[in-house]
Amino acid sequence: MASKLLRQTLTKTYTTAVIRRFSTVAAVASPSEYEDPTGITMKGVKISGRPLYLDMQATTPVDPRVLDSMLPFYLSRYGNPHSRTHLYGWESETAVETARAQVAALIGASPKEIVFTSGATESNNISIKGVMHFYKDKKRHVITTQTEHKCVLDSCRHLQQEGFEVTYLPVGSDGLIDLDRLRKEIRPDTGLISVMAVNNEIGVVQPVEEIGKICKEFNVPFHTDAAQALGKIKVDVEKWNVSLMSLSGHKIYGPKGVGALYMRRRPRIRVEPQMNGGGQERGIRSGTVPTPLVVGMGAACELAMKEMEYDEKRIKGLQERLLNGIREKIDGVVVNGSMDRRYVGNLNLSFAYVEGESLLMGLKEVAVSSGSACTSASLEPSYVLRALGVDEDMAHTSIRFGIGRFTTEEEIDRAVELTVKQVEKLREMSPLYEMVKEGIDIKQIQWAQH
Amino acid sequence: MAASGAGVPMRREVLQLYRSLLRVARQFCDYNIREYSKRRTMDAFRDNKNLRDPSQLSAAFSHGKAQLEVAKRQSLLYSLYAPKVKSIMDF
Repeated sequence: MASKLLRQTLTKTYTTAVIRRFSTVAAVASPSEYEDPTGITMKGVKISGRPLYLDMQATTPVDPRVLDSMLPFYLSRYGNPHSRTHLYGWESETAVETARAQVAALIGASPKEIVFTSGATESNNISIKGVMHFYKDKKRHVITTQTEHKCVLDSCRHLQQEGFEVTYLPVGSDGLIDLDRLRKEIRPDTGLISVMAVNNEIGVVQPVEEIGKICKEFNVPFHTDAAQALGKIKVDVEKWNVSLMSLSGHKIYGPKGVGALYMRRRPRIRVEPQMNGGGQERGIRSGTVPTPLVVGMGAACELAMKEMEYDEKRIKGLQERLLNGIREKIDGVVVNGSMDRRYVGNLNLSFAYVEGESLLMGLKEVAVSSGSACTSASLEPSYVLRALGVDEDMAHTSIRFGIGRFTTEEEIDRAVELTVKQVEKLREMSPLYEMVKEGIDIKQIQWAQH
Repeated sequence: MAASGAGVPMRREVLQLYRSLLRVARQFCDYNIREYSKRRTMDAFRDNKNLRDPSQLSAAFSHGKAQLEVAKRQSLLYSLYAPKVKSIMDF
């Protein structure tokens, strides 16, 4: 009896003490609450597998080659690059300087002109608020566009509250600014012109070279947000004549949480730092430089330089496949923004006679973004599309397809199939579409009040 | 004389490298990375098909061998952290 009890206790402890090969500490945070072998259930929606990713403007997956270059700095080479007294610091600093050179090479700058920040948002803040605060005695005016990224617009609004004047240039229906209008708006006290190179929502490429020439003529500093442009189109700070450029790591298959700011040295542009502290990064951005992230960004930039041509050719073919595939099957598809001056990986489409939210609800197996959701939590249509002059109903049904390095032809075909199916289903149910097919002009209808 | 280590590769070695790269590429559990690795390998070898200059050949070969090492490490890493549910493209 006693031996049976002893055996029971021993076997009990043995089964409960199974040694797992790999630590499950991280598994506690792993998403096992919504993933099970039959599919994923989240926010009331059930899908059979992870959606196919077509939202490259929001963020990009980290390239395995970039991850490979970052890992040693999380594992054994974990020193602080500002430690001057031991090997850990020296090897970290060498890695940071190598990364700096890699980023500089991609944009045609010198490594001394690159400052690492926590992202393009921080770089934009430093550029806009930093420059205007530095020159606040002489320069009180900023020119920017209506389609800029939220961080630029918000910084300008902050400056307005401090008493500066800001001009928001309108854009045409193709998304491009009017250069003559820009010329007219420049005043003697204009301290900065900020125009983004590639728009994140509609993918339109602004005429940065011409803007650079105008800025040189009037001797006004030119800042551009090149987060979406880096590694995708040819960026050259000399040809563009930029004084400040914001760069982001996670848009070029690098890690999130890192970015860079290019600051021209000849002629030197000065900024007031937004982060005060130990004087790292030449006093512009104090704080320990995150070695693994910076190394990742450098590796991503080097990779982008090598792969840019190959990627662009491929993505152009995929974009045409997507657009033609959709246009073959359904009509009433409008591309938002100019088709000529466009980055090939961004396709923003509006579908007529379809309601936007229901279209997105049906497209749960494709990870895309809509024109309105990424800007605000409310159902307000995107300010970019509004600036283009797109009607409210078309602005609501806009979908942004982002194609990237890792997108395959099969994914494009599946996305076309799913989109067409959903649009046709919604149009079938739509009484407005029936009226259009009968030939009634919707805009002329007098809606009676009951 | 660049110390690339490899020297000019023979045809057999190049084919071996090509097959190894494709084998490792096939083992990636992530759909997008798998397809990219296969496609990039095939395109890169096809583009370099007509290289004749010895220094270019050995540089390309060493680059390929380095990429093979990276791919082996990353393939293992991706499988360790594979999500429970596969991509919808894998069904």
